[in-house]
Amino acid sequence: MKPMNFRRPQRQHRSTFRWPAGTALILPAAVLALSFSSPAAAQDNVSKAEADAKLRYCEVCHGVSAQGFHGYYPIPRLAGQPTEYLKNQLQAFVEHRRTSNIMFNVGHVLSPAMINALTTDFNQLNPKPLGGAPKENIDEGKKIFESGVAAANVPPCASCHGPQAKGNGPFPRLAGQLYDYITNKLTNWDKERGQNPSSPDTSAVMQPIAHNLSQPQIKAVAAYLSYLE
Amino acid sequence: MRALNPLRAERTTRARLRAAVWTLRSVGSRVGLAAGALTFVLVGAVSAQHRISLSGDVQAKISYCKDCHGVSAQGYNGYFPIPRLAGQQPVYLENQLRAFIEHRRTNNIMFNVSHSLSPAMVNALAAHFASLHPPPIGGAPRQPVATGRKIFEDGMPEVNIAACAACHGPDATGSGQIPRLAGQLYPYLIKTLNSWDKERGRNPTVPDAAAIMSPVAHSLNRSQIEAVAAFVSTLR
Repeated sequence: MKPMNFRRPQRQHRSTFRWPAGTALILPAAVLALSFSSPAAAQDNVSKAEADAKLRYCEVCHGVSAQGFHGYYPIPRLAGQPTEYLKNQLQAFVEHRRTSNIMFNVGHVLSPAMINALTTDFNQLNPKPLGGAPKENIDEGKKIFESGVAAANVPPCASCHGPQAKGNGPFPRLAGQLYDYITNKLTNWDKERGQNPSSPDTSAVMQPIAHNLSQPQIKAVAAYLSYLE
Repeated sequence: MRALNPLRAERTTRARLRAAVWTLRSVGSRVGLAAGALTFVLVGAVSAQHRISLSGDVQAKISYCKDCHGVSAQGYNGYFPIPRLAGQQPVYLENQLRAFIEHRRTNNIMFNVSHSLSPAMVNALAAHFASLHPPPIGGAPRQPVATGRKIFEDGMPEVNIAACAACHGPDATGSGQIPRLAGQLYPYLIKTLNSWDKERGRNPTVPDAAAIMSPVAHSLNRSQIEAVAAFVSTLR
């Protein structure tokens, strides 16, 4: 899985935000990129106070322990999410690969250093799942998650998301994610993910899987995942 | 707003009536309590007739609420700005009525109003108010509406102010515990945001969803509060 571009698509160099401080300055292209960035993005450092204030701001919508929250929309759990996935999604909003007006505005003012600080913090949180999903079909959901649905060409979710659904790298953690959030995403995959044809991304991997799952199967697997710690 | 003038005439009469009602209420509430207790016992005994007797009681209670909250529950500028209940989320209304009883929300008038309501009455009232859709009262300044819209829809990410729309919805209709703001009274919104921590989440033994708004209310300055209040007060 190649690391995702973080800068805007027209810039050809790749950035994963794991570069050592100062590396960017020796690359003329990166200097150019920085000069076009917002003042916030030009900082290569973020104070603990700034990072904490931003974290509180994120938690207004994503829940006080980033366990997710039912606002007008189901607002996803970020706690325990792999940092690479979070970074890629923030960039997806900025690049219109993922369309959300609110998250576009949130994402485009974040400096690389701030993104590093936030994603590290979210990754380390481990609150209990929010719960609330119907429990009747959890066993069926577990079966789909662990074994897939061979007849519908659905591979086991666990093969990418891990046996405990903790995710890995670009693959998101699903354990404890909100039931209605998972249901919405799988039902509307093509309308919400991979929306910028000039910047194809890993969401293409999930596209046929989301298509091949029936609505009851989606609900079963979402219910199972929403209770996983 | 000219079209509402006939209502205002009615209002003055109502205002006088209301003054009389308030003086009687302290006496009335004792009688009401006794009646309430009796009703409770009777309801247990003759639950088959519960629905029938409730419907008349509900009508009476609805008109009592509307004395203060406006004839269509569109809100009313009494001595205090009295909030619009029309179109409000039933879960929110039920939660706020409980909040008054549990002293999570401190308001002597609404404590007295709510602590005599049976659960069935609360359900019926909440469902009724949710079904009403009068136009907003209006009256907010128009100049800051555009700024207010921007704050509502986008927030101010640079200074860590979340977009109101994320929780209150793109049309400010609310969802579940999260209130509808569309058409809410301009002065009510300003007062509530300015004094959030003094009015909400007041019972430390019963933490509630009010904690979510606390940092948001804090981070908005006065002119931003006025702008966003002006914007949502115009929404239908």
